[in-house]
Amino acid sequence: MSDQLGLLTQLIELFTSSVSYGERLDNFVHLLARNLNFDLALFFVLEKEKQRLLLNTSSQGPVSPSMLIVFPLGRGLVGQTAQTREHLIAYRDDPEIFPANRPLETIYPDFQTLASFAVADDNFLYGVLLLVDQKRRKLDTATLKLIKLACLMLAGTIRQALRHDETKKRIAELSGLFEIGKAISSTMELDALLERILSTAAKVINARGAILRIIDEQTGLPRVASEYGDVFETSACLLTSKLETAVVSGELPFVTTSLPDLQGHLHSYLGVPLNFKGHLKGMLCVFDKMSEALEFQEFDAENRQLLFTMAGMISSSIENALTFQELEALAEKNERMVRVLTVLQEISWALMTTVRMEKILDIILNALTLESGLAYDRAVVLLVNENRHVLKAVKGVFRKTSPPTLPLREALMVPVEVRAESAMEKLLPRLQIPLQEDKGILARTVLQKKTFHIVQAEQDSRVNQELRQAYDLQEFVSVPLIVKDQVTGVIVVDNQRSKRAIRDNDVQILNMFANQAVLAIENSRLYSTIEANNRELSLIRERMLESDRLAALSGLAQGMAHEIRNPLTSIGGFARRISKKVGKNSPLRHDVEVITQEVERLEKLLREVLDFSGVNLGYYEEHDFNQIIEDALTLIERDLMASNIKIAKDFALLPNVHCDDRQIKQVFYNLFQNARQAMDKGGTLTIRTYPVEKSDGLYAAAAVSDTGGGIPLELLHNIFNPFFTTKEFGTGLGLSIAERIVSRHYGQIEIINELGKGVTFIVTLPIAKYCLIKTAEDQEAQP
Amino acid sequence: MKKILVADDEMSIRLLYSEELKDEGYEVLTAADGREALDIVEKTPLDLVILDIKMPEMSGIEVLRQIKEKNPNLPVLLSSAYSEYKQDFGTWASEEYLVKSSDLEDLKAAVKRHLKD
Repeated sequence: MSDQLGLLTQLIELFTSSVSYGERLDNFVHLLARNLNFDLALFFVLEKEKQRLLLNTSSQGPVSPSMLIVFPLGRGLVGQTAQTREHLIAYRDDPEIFPANRPLETIYPDFQTLASFAVADDNFLYGVLLLVDQKRRKLDTATLKLIKLACLMLAGTIRQALRHDETKKRIAELSGLFEIGKAISSTMELDALLERILSTAAKVINARGAILRIIDEQTGLPRVASEYGDVFETSACLLTSKLETAVVSGELPFVTTSLPDLQGHLHSYLGVPLNFKGHLKGMLCVFDKMSEALEFQEFDAENRQLLFTMAGMISSSIENALTFQELEALAEKNERMVRVLTVLQEISWALMTTVRMEKILDIILNALTLESGLAYDRAVVLLVNENRHVLKAVKGVFRKTSPPTLPLREALMVPVEVRAESAMEKLLPRLQIPLQEDKGILARTVLQKKTFHIVQAEQDSRVNQELRQAYDLQEFVSVPLIVKDQVTGVIVVDNQRSKRAIRDNDVQILNMFANQAVLAIENSRLYSTIEANNRELSLIRERMLESDRLAALSGLAQGMAHEIRNPLTSIGGFARRISKKVGKNSPLRHDVEVITQEVERLEKLLREVLDFSGVNLGYYEEHDFNQIIEDALTLIERDLMASNIKIAKDFALLPNVHCDDRQIKQVFYNLFQNARQAMDKGGTLTIRTYPVEKSDGLYAAAAVSDTGGGIPLELLHNIFNPFFTTKEFGTGLGLSIAERIVSRHYGQIEIINELGKGVTFIVTLPIAKYCLIKTAEDQEAQP
Repeated sequence: MKKILVADDEMSIRLLYSEELKDEGYEVLTAADGREALDIVEKTPLDLVILDIKMPEMSGIEVLRQIKEKNPNLPVLLSSAYSEYKQDFGTWASEEYLVKSSDLEDLKAAVKRHLKD
């Protein structure tokens, strides 16, 4: 009895001690075996699946793998006890017992007595205690009670231990989840977040590494891929494909699989789905679960559960991070856009400061090439010439100017110097592209009214290969300048030196820029047209005023002519009569001749100043140029013949000129008069007419040549000055009047002086239909 | 002897022309205005008229019209201080238009031409 009490005391001491569960079990079997005087005490533990009982602890020492004894439920004494929960005692000689219990021979060949006791509490069976002895033993009731009590205590301690384990696991799980929770709230930055999530998940599960994949549902491609630990490429690929199919089919409770690495070692994987409330789906996967002793372990249901829970927690935070990333990208894009818009605004401002084409072109080229602008390496502006149906290069920048120290606004206004250093720069002014589809991208840009972004010029059949070689074109953009649905020009840019790729966004910006540029160009054109028209109008106004003045003046002079001419006629007439009547030797003769000559001079003055330039100013009509010259010639023919001057005419067939025929008649009369006076000893007057094409239209020309020996050089610059004359009898007004009349007709009068030969005056007058149609555009076309 | 009428409001011109023409051997009558000229044309058979365009009472052009109405074959030479009407004399149906000049050679040559002698 005292023995039993001693055992009980020892058992209580054992179960209340602080030693571990395994140690308690060891001590328990040891105590029982020693105190009850049994050779051996064994504890069989019931597996989790509750189908088999495994030898767990022996009073003889540690249980090695070779000592593995298993009893299925219901088999052998241990199995029966487990099933019935009743204690059983059996002997070796019992024929019904021995075969089933034979496995025990492996550890104790000479067993005679076997006594098994269920280790269970009210609810659960935890295992079976088996006492073994080589003697035939009987157990009295008190001993049986004691053993049952001991088993009950053991069950209690096992339950406690299991609960303890469970609690520890829960705590581990919770702290794992806490770690995950900490991880997901630690950062909004996606990469950092994923790294922390994966490392924490792997640590919590005791896995060697973790993989995370998120599939973009729309494209079906991995959108996010993050890894922790050593991931084998093949495994990652396999996982991804497995994941994709699973995600697409919508069935992915979990994936546990084993995949070999390159060395043939098997690795186990556990994957759970990540479901987002949006359209994203993915998978979180851990691999290579390791025990504390660094042994590979299988993932179990608890691991799965934990991973599920974690997946639920992280998915929303990943989604948040993704949204945050998108927002950040959007913000960045916005910021870029704002910068671009600011640049465009600056450019727009600069373009508004001027209407001068040259300045606008400079601003455009600066805007395209400045580092603080659109920063292209090269830029060329070409404009369409409607008349010739070609695209013509106007100006280009082929190298970056020095880094801008000026603010963009000011840098834009710096004049662009055209330096013809390289062959390309020298070629540029002559670059003309006929507007035909097969003449390359630039012609197409005009004809199709759209932007071309050529990435590989060499491989593109649409590119004009000659041009490509001449200008070393690779990637380039050709943007049309469109106003009122008309292409007025093309901007071409590239990054020939830096080879910086041109993005779609850049092309968009270029198009926006082109819209601004073309408005400025158009403004400038309109302005210069208006300016030219204004000039034209004020010129016409000036001339009309002058005409009015002259008309008024001549009206006055006309009245005076009548008044003066009558008395002059009688004074002169009578003087001549006197001269005839007085004898040749009369002393009066000389006096009378002075009167005659002076009157003649006055009459001539009247003729020259008044007879032609006076009335009929401004009767501009279409006239036959040749006929006017003929008419003028008739007026002086008699004088010419008298001076022994031959006339040579060579008239071409000409369109009508727009003029006041009387004034032009005077021009030629004056020129003929001038020629006659130059050839006082006779000669030849040559008159030739012919058409002339000038930049601003078609002209009729008449060349009047004399053989009078030319004008001395020192006098030449004076000949069109009024009142300059070399003649004894001359007003000096003839050529001056002629010059004024011709310029009033938008014509020109030129002089070709050949000393020793003669003088040729060339008068050009605009052909009627070209007259006054001098638009600004024409002037622009021929700067 | 051929009879010539010189019609001019300027006395000095009338005097100069008639003296000069008389020297050439013509009989010269004078009129100081258009009405007087027309009277003479109506009353006296004439061979030629020298007519100033601008005269008081009646302009030379009107006188010319009436002369040509009554006697279309009578040659009329217009003599004027104005050169700008020269190209219009054809439409006025006169024989010639002479700008007044102290040198009367042109005038005398024209007279001779139109008297056809």
